[in-house]
Amino acid sequence: MAIAQEDDQVLKAEYGKFALTNAKIYTVTKGVIENGTLVINNGIIEAVGANVQIPNDAKVIDVAGKEIYPGMIDGGTTLGLNEIGSIAEAQDYREYGAITPQMEALTAVNPNAVTIPVTRVSGVTTVWTMPQGGVLPGTAAAINLFGYTPDQMYAGQRGIVMNFPSTAGGRRWRRLSEDEIKKRQERAMKEINETWDKAELYAKIENAEDVRNYPEIEALVPVVKGETPIFIEVNAAQDILNAIEWIKGRGYKQVVLTGVAEGWRVADEIAESGYPVIAGPVQAIPTRSSDSFDAAYANPGIMSKAGVKVALRTMDNENARNLPYHAGFAAAYGMGKEEALKAITINAAEILGVGDQIGSIEVGKKANFFVSTGDPFETATKITDLFIDGYKVPMTSRHIRLYDEFLNRATGVDKTKPAIEIKKK
Amino acid sequence: MKTKNILLSLLLVLCTSAFAQEAPKGDVLFKGGTVLTITNGALENTDVLVRDGKISRIGKGLRAPNGVETVDITGKFLMPGIIDAHSHIAGSAINEGTSQVTAEVSMEDVVDPYDVSIYRALAGGVTSIHLMHGSANVIGGQNETMKLRWGQTDPDMLRFEGAPRTIKFALGENPTRGARARGIQPQSRMGIEMMLRNSFSEAQEYEKRWKAYNASKDPKKVAPEYDLRMQTLVDILNGEVLVHCHSYRADEIYMLLKVFSDFNIPRLTFQHANEAYKVAPELAAFGATASVFADWWAYKLEVYYSTAYNAAILHENGVLTSINSDSGELIRHLFHEAAKTQKYGNLSDDEALAMITLNPAKQLGIDNRVGSIEVGKDADIAIFDNHPLSIYAVPQMTFVDGVKYFDINNDKADQRIYIDPESSIEEVTLFEKMDYNHRCMEGAAIFFGQNLINHQH
Amino acid sequence: MKSLRKLCLHAVLLLSMSVISLSSWAQSDPTGESPVTRTYALTNATVITKPGTELKETTVIIKDGLIQSVGKNASIPANAQVIDASELYVYAAFIDGMSNTGAKRPENPQRPQNLFTPDPPNFYAGITPENSVVEQLDVESSSIASLREAGFAISNTVPYGRMLPGSSALILLNDADHADDIIMKKDAALFAQWVGAPGAYPGNILGMMAKWRNLYRNAVQDKKHSELYAQNPAGMTRPENDRVSQAFFPVIAQQKPVMFNVDGVLDVRRAMRLRDDLGFPLIVAGVEQSWELADELKATNTPIFLSLDLPDEPKASDDEDKSEEMAAMEERRMEFYKIHVAQAAKLQEAGVNFGFAVGSVRSNSIWKNVQTYIDNGLSTDAALAALTTNPASILGISQVVGTVETGKLANVMVTTAPLFTKDAKVKMMFVDGDKYEYEVKERKKAANGGDNSSATTGDPVTGSWTYALITPQGDQGGKMVISKEGSNYSGYLTSDDGSPDTAMNNISFRDSELAFDFSIDAGGQSVQIVVVGTVTGKTYDATATVSFGGQDISMDLTATKDEQ
Repeated sequence: MAIAQEDDQVLKAEYGKFALTNAKIYTVTKGVIENGTLVINNGIIEAVGANVQIPNDAKVIDVAGKEIYPGMIDGGTTLGLNEIGSIAEAQDYREYGAITPQMEALTAVNPNAVTIPVTRVSGVTTVWTMPQGGVLPGTAAAINLFGYTPDQMYAGQRGIVMNFPSTAGGRRWRRLSEDEIKKRQERAMKEINETWDKAELYAKIENAEDVRNYPEIEALVPVVKGETPIFIEVNAAQDILNAIEWIKGRGYKQVVLTGVAEGWRVADEIAESGYPVIAGPVQAIPTRSSDSFDAAYANPGIMSKAGVKVALRTMDNENARNLPYHAGFAAAYGMGKEEALKAITINAAEILGVGDQIGSIEVGKKANFFVSTGDPFETATKITDLFIDGYKVPMTSRHIRLYDEFLNRATGVDKTKPAIEIKKK
Repeated sequence: MKTKNILLSLLLVLCTSAFAQEAPKGDVLFKGGTVLTITNGALENTDVLVRDGKISRIGKGLRAPNGVETVDITGKFLMPGIIDAHSHIAGSAINEGTSQVTAEVSMEDVVDPYDVSIYRALAGGVTSIHLMHGSANVIGGQNETMKLRWGQTDPDMLRFEGAPRTIKFALGENPTRGARARGIQPQSRMGIEMMLRNSFSEAQEYEKRWKAYNASKDPKKVAPEYDLRMQTLVDILNGEVLVHCHSYRADEIYMLLKVFSDFNIPRLTFQHANEAYKVAPELAAFGATASVFADWWAYKLEVYYSTAYNAAILHENGVLTSINSDSGELIRHLFHEAAKTQKYGNLSDDEALAMITLNPAKQLGIDNRVGSIEVGKDADIAIFDNHPLSIYAVPQMTFVDGVKYFDINNDKADQRIYIDPESSIEEVTLFEKMDYNHRCMEGAAIFFGQNLINHQH
Repeated sequence: MKSLRKLCLHAVLLLSMSVISLSSWAQSDPTGESPVTRTYALTNATVITKPGTELKETTVIIKDGLIQSVGKNASIPANAQVIDASELYVYAAFIDGMSNTGAKRPENPQRPQNLFTPDPPNFYAGITPENSVVEQLDVESSSIASLREAGFAISNTVPYGRMLPGSSALILLNDADHADDIIMKKDAALFAQWVGAPGAYPGNILGMMAKWRNLYRNAVQDKKHSELYAQNPAGMTRPENDRVSQAFFPVIAQQKPVMFNVDGVLDVRRAMRLRDDLGFPLIVAGVEQSWELADELKATNTPIFLSLDLPDEPKASDDEDKSEEMAAMEERRMEFYKIHVAQAAKLQEAGVNFGFAVGSVRSNSIWKNVQTYIDNGLSTDAALAALTTNPASILGISQVVGTVETGKLANVMVTTAPLFTKDAKVKMMFVDGDKYEYEVKERKKAANGGDNSSATTGDPVTGSWTYALITPQGDQGGKMVISKEGSNYSGYLTSDDGSPDTAMNNISFRDSELAFDFSIDAGGQSVQIVVVGTVTGKTYDATATVSFGGQDISMDLTATKDEQ
């Protein structure tokens, strides 16, 4: 006899062998399969195609009339590191100090954050979650949005975040003189160069016996050695050029430019540098009051046309689920549907160094995908099924449960008298 | 305020003063598009004729009278100009936060016609906004309903002439946080309720005093103290000012219904109202309405238990609902926000579009003028190249009173109407989410790494 | 402490002076500073009696503070000092419509303990219309001599303060021992500005507009009540003795104007909106953006003192391959510069009789800025009118000043060349009949922008300071580094906790007061902090006010100058 209280329905994720049939499959890398089958087994895509043998022991899901897409990848969020914006205690993405690259976003992620199911039921399966703050705020990580520990969620890539000194004002009232801007830049670059010089020195001497413990500098050594990528957050046009020049001077191998709000102004230079970018948010106000109203919408398309490899990000937390709409706006304002879809699937995966694991529907890749009633960019499209790391994730979140409870709420007892009578004069 | 009304009506009657200028009105014939009327379905291949700023005919095969320009909208979509029921663009100041009751202040005094956000909203199909006072006060200031006549530099020219007076109330964390920082009431939801009841009671006393004075025939009578704040509260009690209340939690929404019930104020719109869905039946029974976000949540504790299905639930339960932006960024794609009621819910196209047209018009008391494409209404019109609820919709042109204020093909990029000669050319500003979203005091104030506003440890 | 000592010294000096002046007319003066005679004859001068009227080879006789005669064949009094003015030009001295000349900024009112922010005491809210600038006058202020040297003899001096600091007074820019000696007209105008109470009601423009309406309407009621009571008090409630209300009575009676210090066009419109709502006589002063209002000002007969503060001329970049976009934006920016500098001409064209407000413009920039207005369309006659006859008319003193005519006050300027020409320099000033002579040197080309007395090396604020900011959550420290280029200060604050440096904006340093503001990122939201304080030697004592989401918090900021 059950004494403990239970939920009406407990939805658990399922694992194993699945076959999704009669689907229109957008592989992203190998075209569209009009009517196909997708077979996954123990987390990996085993087969995909128009004529695929369905294993006997596979659980078959008929998705006729629907479409399958690779799980969407948000190239920049604080998801998992922040639950309630206004409460300092709930924020775990900002540590005190200017040089703190050793701070790991991954282990600070709360796998049980309420925001995570809310995000994934909209088809975003993987995000890059980033520390914020000083010049070197920490180490970002790619996480899949299913798992009970950070290790389970880990999607295979970490990277050093660097906030390149900005000549831009951060807020409306700041107006520095050109001189002041220049001086501040020089000071900031001096500090940065000193820090990286130390890192390079440390890389040389790190195996010496009596080398000191210096976690901040140690964390930078893998970048120096080319083992870990560096993600440089830079937005103003001149800053982007300065950053490219600087990093070329440093010669570090794995470089990604993030933000690049004014990338469209220097798209050719970025293309020439060969560095990929993670741009966004697309739904954003232009950086200059003199800019055309759609500068941010058109930004990814312009860079893409110039030959830059572009991934997109929402730079959001609880609404990272809007990633397809950022992509949709980018598509509508010049990027085109195809490129925009790549920007949130295969491009993002490759830029994050996990292009061999996710980002497209291909045999051998991880089972990260979703089933939708139509074009995922269209707002009215609904997601009906979700697979992350081979788990069939239940399509529920607190938003959905609240909808279920309150759409037709139990009326409650009707009491005509109010609980408290306030005496009126 | 009465003096002002007299002045305004005098100006309207006389029309001789060069400075009671009339808003510009235009004539235009829109030909051959899909007209989304909101009240009468979607009419394909239809023309709309505008005369002197009003919609004069809707039909097929209309011809342009002499001198009236024809705008070919073949393959395009025409809808009523979008109305944002909660906005803070175009304001020089937003919140008089030093007192918890400031009914006497008014946003009409701080309209800033130079804000380029106005143009950018037009570029998102918006023609009218409800410029609201901030949410730091339990009883805030009066709002200003406006039309986005970009380029007019006289603030009065952006007024939505004839729109009813409205006022901002606020419940929950914003007012209590402010009061906590200043060591005054109300620091709890209990305190907010009592501040409301007390303010209304005091207003009733004020009204009694003045009525007595006015009725008195005593030659030695002395006028009671004049108090603009109390007078405004009296106006609210008498139904002359529509209340729009910033609120989140279900219990505080319910509380306000009770207070308004007790003071016999029948009309009420809840703004944001993230938890309104939990008391949808009660709202419907009162006849209160809601103006909500499409999907914002979690930025504060009081919105932690939100659902993006809020608008759909309210709609299904018979509560008149609109979707607003409360943001200089979001306002530019309200048509996309409205479509979210089809993702988080199953609203029809007309129902979704009504969320940003007819419904906010009703909540602002301007539905006799705007909010749908009907003969006799103002020609506030937005043209899209795709159905506005599609993600691929790009606004093409926006008209206010039949005058074109936005044209994607012909407008220059640099739309500023004032440039400070001492500004630098390459003035780059990185707007973070917090900068352009009116989230008054909601982010923890980090001051050089320390918490400034929140005195807790 | 220091101010007390200074006060004592001042008092001693005053006493000794008054002792001397109480004795007979022919007093001895051991300083030797007093003049031999107060009668002067400027012979054979070119006299511009008023704009557009020029008399050649004319003699001006000044006696006992008045212009005794202006003409060709004047008989020169026996006790006159005769000055050969054959190469010189004589004009009416200038009149400044609004500035703080001669006033000393008082200490900021202390924030009361347990301040009830919705209803602070009037002194804290800055609602003190009953006060007068007379209380703030400091005859020792160097600003008096400084403005006089620029050709001004009268200043409508306004009090320091917040939204209703008090009445302004017309003062004569004369050296004197006692403020009473230079006050020409007390209560010239009720001064108002859009400066809110720090962290209390009314905090910003929203509250101030409403407060004005409330104060005024109650004042109207109070005035009516007082008048009825005065006629027949029996049986009537006794009127309250509200000095704030009473300060409005002469305004309500249309006998005293309200002068609003408003620079931006929206602020001007707000003042005008209040005037339309409430009906008081309005003067707008310090206006920097008047061009859209020209017709309305004319139609409503609103007197205006145009600001003498002009933006610096924008410089196009000399980058050879600058983009089309950049070139277009530079052109647009220049277009607005031109609009700024042409606005005086526009007012003239619209038929508006405007004056000028010196405001906080440095004395040695005034002529340059007037010249800029002239270069951009303002006629020289209209410029002279704006400096003389128009302000006299607006301030109601046309009967006694504004022109060089018999019977008027001897407020006269003598220049080496016609005004508004390149070589014109002030050689002599007569203020209230007292003579001041100036050495005319070749003006050095402004390598350092013609800045004030302090050379950069001796500048009391430039350099590095160590500051401490006492916040509710603990002390914050770092360095405050200020440098100066020409007449412009720039600076930045560093932070000991590693946060990025912050620029100091709008740095102003005048009369030992150093003020600036800076912005910080508070969790993504922009927060502005205003710092105002006094520099005494190597110490800086200031108050930092944070404005955030409609509320204000004040903190102490102290700094000590680092050893070089």
